[in-house]
Amino acid sequence: MSLAQCLRGHLRWFGPLLSRFAGCVSVSIEVPSSVDEFIQGEKEPASSGVVVVLGFVSMLSFLILYGILFPGRDMPVISEVLPMFEGVFDSGIWFFLLGVIFGAFSIIATMLTEATSE
Amino acid sequence: MDVIISTLATFWLLLALSFVLIKKGLWIFNDVAKGLSMFMLEKALGPAIDFVSGRPGSSSSTWIIHGLVWTFASSTFTFMGLWLSHDATALHSFESWGYHPNSSELIYAGRLTALFGAIGMLVVGASLYSLPRLCGTHLASESNATLVSLLWTLSVLLMFVGSQNAVIAGITILPIANLLLTLASTALVINLILTVSDANQEIPFPGWLILFAFIGNIAAVLSVFISGAFDEGVGQWLLFHLAGGTFFFCGVAGVSLYSVSVGSGNPLWSKSLVAFTLFGAVITINPMGSTDPSMVVDLFSLTSNELAPSSRDVISGSFLMALSAIPIIAFSANMLVTMRGSDAFVENPDSPGIAELNLGAWMLIPIAIGSLFVQTDALGGVNELNGISQSLDLMAIWLVMMPLSVGAALNVLPRASGRNQLSANRSRWAFWMMSGGAFLGLLITLMSDFTDMALTESMAEQGSSINQELRKVGSVMFYGTVIGAIFHCTNTISGQYRGRIMGDVSKASLSSIAIESYSLTGPTTIRKILASGATLDTEVSPSEQSEEKGSATEL
Repeated sequence: MSLAQCLRGHLRWFGPLLSRFAGCVSVSIEVPSSVDEFIQGEKEPASSGVVVVLGFVSMLSFLILYGILFPGRDMPVISEVLPMFEGVFDSGIWFFLLGVIFGAFSIIATMLTEATSE
Repeated sequence: MDVIISTLATFWLLLALSFVLIKKGLWIFNDVAKGLSMFMLEKALGPAIDFVSGRPGSSSSTWIIHGLVWTFASSTFTFMGLWLSHDATALHSFESWGYHPNSSELIYAGRLTALFGAIGMLVVGASLYSLPRLCGTHLASESNATLVSLLWTLSVLLMFVGSQNAVIAGITILPIANLLLTLASTALVINLILTVSDANQEIPFPGWLILFAFIGNIAAVLSVFISGAFDEGVGQWLLFHLAGGTFFFCGVAGVSLYSVSVGSGNPLWSKSLVAFTLFGAVITINPMGSTDPSMVVDLFSLTSNELAPSSRDVISGSFLMALSAIPIIAFSANMLVTMRGSDAFVENPDSPGIAELNLGAWMLIPIAIGSLFVQTDALGGVNELNGISQSLDLMAIWLVMMPLSVGAALNVLPRASGRNQLSANRSRWAFWMMSGGAFLGLLITLMSDFTDMALTESMAEQGSSINQELRKVGSVMFYGTVIGAIFHCTNTISGQYRGRIMGDVSKASLSSIAIESYSLTGPTTIRKILASGATLDTEVSPSEQSEEKGSATEL
C-alpha cells in the first residue's frame, strides 16, 4: 500500500468524526454578529502590564541595536530635536520636575475623569 | 519697655473676654445677633451661596481636598527651594520669561503655602466636622463654609504670587492676600460661634482648643496692634509666635485629639492633660517656627525692625518659651497613650490617618526642644544657632504640623463625605513617602547646616564639597514628600467617587495574601497563627468543641 492510499484510508475514517465535532462546536457557541453597543471591561487584565513592559523592553533593545549597527551616528529625528532644549533642561532638577508635572496632570486628570464618569 | 508682657496681657484679656462672651452670650441681644449673623453668612451673599452644596459634611470635604492639593504645591516649592540652595542656576531657563527663581523665595513660598494652604485648610476642614460633633449639633452654615474655602484658596494663591514678586503694578500683593484671609477667617469664626451657641452638650476640651485656635489668632493680631508693639522687632516676633501657638498649635492639637480618639476607638486618655494643653498654649509662647518674623512684616505691610529685645523681654520671653514644654509634652503624651493597644497603626488600613498622627506626636517633643534652643539663642542676641533656624522651621512644618493635620484630615474625611479613600495600599505608600522624604531630606539638610556653621566658625576660606553633596542628597530625599502628596491627592479625590462606603463591611480591606479569618480549634501559638498567613487584621474565631466522651447516636 502506497503512502497516499494509507492517508486516504485514515481520512475516510477521521472525516465524519471531525465534521461531527466541528458541527458540535458551531452549534454550542452562538456568537452574535453585532451587539450594537460599546463594551469595556471594568477590571484591567493582569497581562496588559506585561504587554506594556514588553513594548518598553523592545524599544530599548532596538535603541541598543541601532547603536551597534550604526556606531557613531546620531539618532534620526531625536538628535535634531534635542539640541533645541540645550541650555533649558541642563540641570538634574528637570528630571524631578518632570515627575512633578506628571503628578500635577494626574491630579487634574483624576478630578476630571472621576467627576465626569458615570 | 517690656513689650512681651504688656502685649501678652492684652492678649490674655481679649481671650478671657471672648470666653465670657461665648459662655454668657450677649444678654438680650443674643437672638438679634444670631439672626443678623446668619443673614450675613447666607442671604446677604445673594446668588453666590446657591452655587455651593449645603449637604452636611460638604464644607469639611471641600476644605480638606483643597488642603491636600496645597500640600502637593507646597512640597514642590520646598523641594525646588532646597534644590536651588546647592544648584542656584538650575532653573535659569525661566529667566527668559522674566522669572528669576531663587532658593530663599521658593522656600518662603513653600512655607506660606504649607502653613496657610495645606495645614491651615486641613485644620479648618477637620474643625468644621469635629467641632459640631463635639457640641452635639450641626454646623451653622455649611454653604458659607464651603464658599469661604474658595476665598481662602485665592488668598493662598496670592501669597504664592506675592512671595515671588512682592509688588505688581504698584500693588503690594501679600497684604491683599492677608486681607482676604482675614475676611475668610472672620466668616469662619462667626460660623463656629453660631455653631457653639446651639451646643446641646458641654463642650469637651478639644472643642475649646479648636475654638481658641480661631479666636486666638484674631486676638493675637489685635493685641499686638492695641499695645503698639507692631512697630518693634520684638512685637513682630511675638505676633509670629502667638499666631503659631494659637491657630496652628491649638488648631492642630484640637483636631488631632478628636481624631485620635475617634480613629483608635479609645477614649481620650487624660482630660487634665488636654486642659494643660489648652491653657498652656494660650499662656506660653510657642517656640516652633522661624527666628525671622519677616512673614508677619510682609503680610501686614509693616516696617521691618531688628529683633532688639530689652533684658526683661529676654527673660520673660525665654521663660514663657520654656514653659511651653508643658502643653507640648502634655499633648504629645495624651496622643500617644490614647493610641495604645487598639491596633490602630500603619498596618491597619481601616484607621486612616492614625500613622500620620503617631508620627507627628513622636516628632513634636524633639523638634520643640530644638526650636526652644534656637529661639532662646536668637532672642538673647547670641545668634550662634541661627544657621539651623530654617531647617528646624521646615522640620516643624513637615514633621509635626503637616503629619498631624494630614492625619486628622484623613481620619475625618471619610466620616464627612461618607466614603473611604480609594486604596489603603496607596495611602500607606503616601505615608511612607511623605514621612520618609521629609525626615531624611530635612535631617540631611540640617547636617549640612551644621557643617556650614562649623566652617563659618573656623573661618575656612573655602567651603566643603561634602556640604554641597549633603544638600543635594537632602533635596533629592525630600522629593519623596512630593510623591507622597501626589499619592494622597489622587487617592482622596478618587475615593470621593469610588471609595468604599463608610460602614460597608462587606469588603474587608485586606491584602490578597492575607487571610480574613482564622478558626482556632485548640491551644496554639501566635507564631503558628502568623505562619498560616494571618495578619494583625485577621479575625481569630474560636471554634466550639466538647471534651465529653462520644456515644452511639440514638435513633
